[in-house]
Amino acid sequence: MTYKITEEDNISTIFLDGEIDMDKTEEVKEVIFPIIDSGKDVALNLSNVQYMDSSGISVLIESHQKALEKGTKVIIKDVSKSVLKVIMMAKLEQILNLE
Amino acid sequence: MTDLNHIEKKAFLVKSSSLKDVRTFCREVFEKLNIEQNLKDELVLAIAEAAQNIVKHAYKDKPDVNEIMVVEISLVNKEMKIAFYDMGTPVDPKKVKHREIDNVKPGGLGTFFMQEIMDAVEFKEGKKPWINHLVLTKQL
Repeated sequence: MTYKITEEDNISTIFLDGEIDMDKTEEVKEVIFPIIDSGKDVALNLSNVQYMDSSGISVLIESHQKALEKGTKVIIKDVSKSVLKVIMMAKLEQILNLE
Repeated sequence: MTDLNHIEKKAFLVKSSSLKDVRTFCREVFEKLNIEQNLKDELVLAIAEAAQNIVKHAYKDKPDVNEIMVVEISLVNKEMKIAFYDMGTPVDPKKVKHREIDNVKPGGLGTFFMQEIMDAVEFKEGKKPWINHLVLTKQL
């Protein structure tokens, strides 16, 4: 998995790339959580994530909940079709902030 | 999808870095079987979740062992069976359940995905040397 972060105003956009499974979740958390902890809003761009399993979905849920606790938000942008299908299977499309 | 009966199996080290190899193996098999993309994605997810459960749960108490798990994919008369064999801690099928889907929290989704995608998710008696034997079934 690779990633890139861009900053604009108070929003950090994280572009994730690759497949997110149990083996990658700690790495993904290490990228996302410190930004949420810093009080910034986070946009997760998932256009180049072609596969995500339940571990990856758990990171999305944790990120969303952590942001709520911190009074910020996590927006999930440009979700690939395959990942959107998994999000919908988990019935999370109304819970997570999808754009 | 091809009508040919087909069976393939492969062994993987029980560790999280093997999950990518499990997915690659499955995709290659499904490619040979001409399974359409949507179904292929679903089957790969179900298989990967089962393999993840072996790494995460069956080997929770022995993370450093160098053991293998076997994934076997068979298609006979349009019935797809995906069998898993491991030598981890015995699984009590009664304790294998997903969380309530409306109770949004991290974790507990892998089993739910398997059940959503497959027609049957069954633990069978493992034959020596195997301890656990999980079979996922779907009519194609």
